[in-house]
Amino acid sequence: MNHNNKKKKSKNEQQEFEFCEVCRLNHNNGRRHNFFPSHKNSLSSLLARFQSKISDVKFFLKTPMLILPEHTHQNRLWCVFCNCDILELDSQFACSNAVGHLASEEHLKRVKGFMWKYGGGMDRVDLFRITEADFAKWEKKCKSLKAEAAKTQSVGTSNDIHNKHNAEIVNSSCNNNFDSLKSCIPNYVVPLHSYTNERTPLSGSVLSSSVSKTGPSLYNIPGGSQVQDAHYLKNLTGSVSNQHFPNSLARECSSYGDASTGSVYSGVRAGIGEVSPGLVNLTHVSSASKVALEGNVHTGAPPPWLDGTKGDNLDPALKPESREPVSSRAGKSKLNPKRVGAAWAERRKLELEMERRGERVNNNFDANWLPNFGRVWQSGTRKESRKQFQIENDAMREPDNHLEAVMPIQPYISKRMRKDATHDTVGKSI
Amino acid sequence: MEYLLPTLRKKQEVDSLIRDTLDKVLVLRFGLSSDAVCLQLDDVLYKSVKDVSKFVTVALVDTTEEEIQVYLKYFDITYVPSIVFFFNAHHMKMDSGSADHTKWVGTFQRKQDFVDVVEEHMVQGCKSSLCNCRRYTERQ
Repeated sequence: MNHNNKKKKSKNEQQEFEFCEVCRLNHNNGRRHNFFPSHKNSLSSLLARFQSKISDVKFFLKTPMLILPEHTHQNRLWCVFCNCDILELDSQFACSNAVGHLASEEHLKRVKGFMWKYGGGMDRVDLFRITEADFAKWEKKCKSLKAEAAKTQSVGTSNDIHNKHNAEIVNSSCNNNFDSLKSCIPNYVVPLHSYTNERTPLSGSVLSSSVSKTGPSLYNIPGGSQVQDAHYLKNLTGSVSNQHFPNSLARECSSYGDASTGSVYSGVRAGIGEVSPGLVNLTHVSSASKVALEGNVHTGAPPPWLDGTKGDNLDPALKPESREPVSSRAGKSKLNPKRVGAAWAERRKLELEMERRGERVNNNFDANWLPNFGRVWQSGTRKESRKQFQIENDAMREPDNHLEAVMPIQPYISKRMRKDATHDTVGKSI
Repeated sequence: MEYLLPTLRKKQEVDSLIRDTLDKVLVLRFGLSSDAVCLQLDDVLYKSVKDVSKFVTVALVDTTEEEIQVYLKYFDITYVPSIVFFFNAHHMKMDSGSADHTKWVGTFQRKQDFVDVVEEHMVQGCKSSLCNCRRYTERQ
């Protein structure tokens, strides 16, 4: 009896359908499904794929790195065990949210449940999670990174290779008013407080006036020194059209004349002709005045090789045009040459191209033009039926005109009057 | 529906459209904007035009205009709405189940019917043969 009951129960279990997330199909095989080769293959491929993603995350676990805000959206991870998407939008470090998730207890529970349900092997659970010890180590490393970043921020560009002296002066003047910058500038980017190049191509006032017109603003620190975020400048030249922004700057530069005479920073005086200690062995080339008038790569002026050789510029512009007819010819070849109206289509395309170029085209399209049409009660070709219609049309018009021309309007004369008239003439003659 | 689809009122406009529509099926609907059946057909055409825009051009021709009368005589149009199909300025005949193979008389009940008909025209235009569209009238 018990044996029969068990058999009935097993039959009932087989009849119940359940969904296998690994194979993504419904089956009624019960626990036997886990031993099917198709399921084993799907499971191994799924776990292998997830393993590769976890290895990327574990790389950042060992070596934590700061992440740029623009790249946060690229770091996404779909956790197969928890069926959730892990985003990194708010995180400072690469894969920080993913690391936190993989180290959590909930994830561990779900991994165990998944392995038990789909037969992945309970000994492999640790491969798909992060242990508490590793997580603690990672947290320590992150803290130390943060502390280092904060230190470098407060110190400023102490690693400036050219102007250590200038850096010290700038740092002393900037320290008091640096708080306003902290919220604006990302931690890992340290703005240049002075140009490594001894020449100062632009005066601060010039930059602020021109840039404020076009877009992002510079950060003004009271005390005369200004900080230009190189990052934003790069974005400017990339996003705003090259002709708009650099020209305004170039104009400003030229209007201010020799920019090298103006100094950007109150505490910094990189005078004309002075060579910094690091540049003793290099030959000095003085072209500051020309640069100021004509502009340079920093101001966004056009490169000199493009001014004189405009013909070269036109060639690449011509090339796509020359490619177009080739591609259109290739497109034409795809169309059936025996299609309806193929000859007409090609001829008309040529005519339209000639019209676009401005050439005169000899067309026989007058007001009476009609397309070839196969009429209902006409036999023969469509051209014949069109000619027939035109003949009919002309015939309809001509009789009307002919009659109007031939028929003069005369008063009605009755028969008796006509007879009387004839009698009178006969009587007179006799 | 005249503001939604291009409406032609002059013979020259019709001529230029027929001549300049190349490698695409040209659908000319002859009808009145005040007729109920024409409006239904225009609705179907308007809804389908975007889906088939890559190989079909649709235009409405107003049959009340004087300059269009020559086309009504030429195409033997006595009932509206009537649709005449062209491909590369060549008139496309179609067997729609009636004796008149030169045009489609009446409206389409469904958008898909119109799409099927123009697809058939496009295929046959590329193959250079007669379109058999009997099944679309039999549905109606």
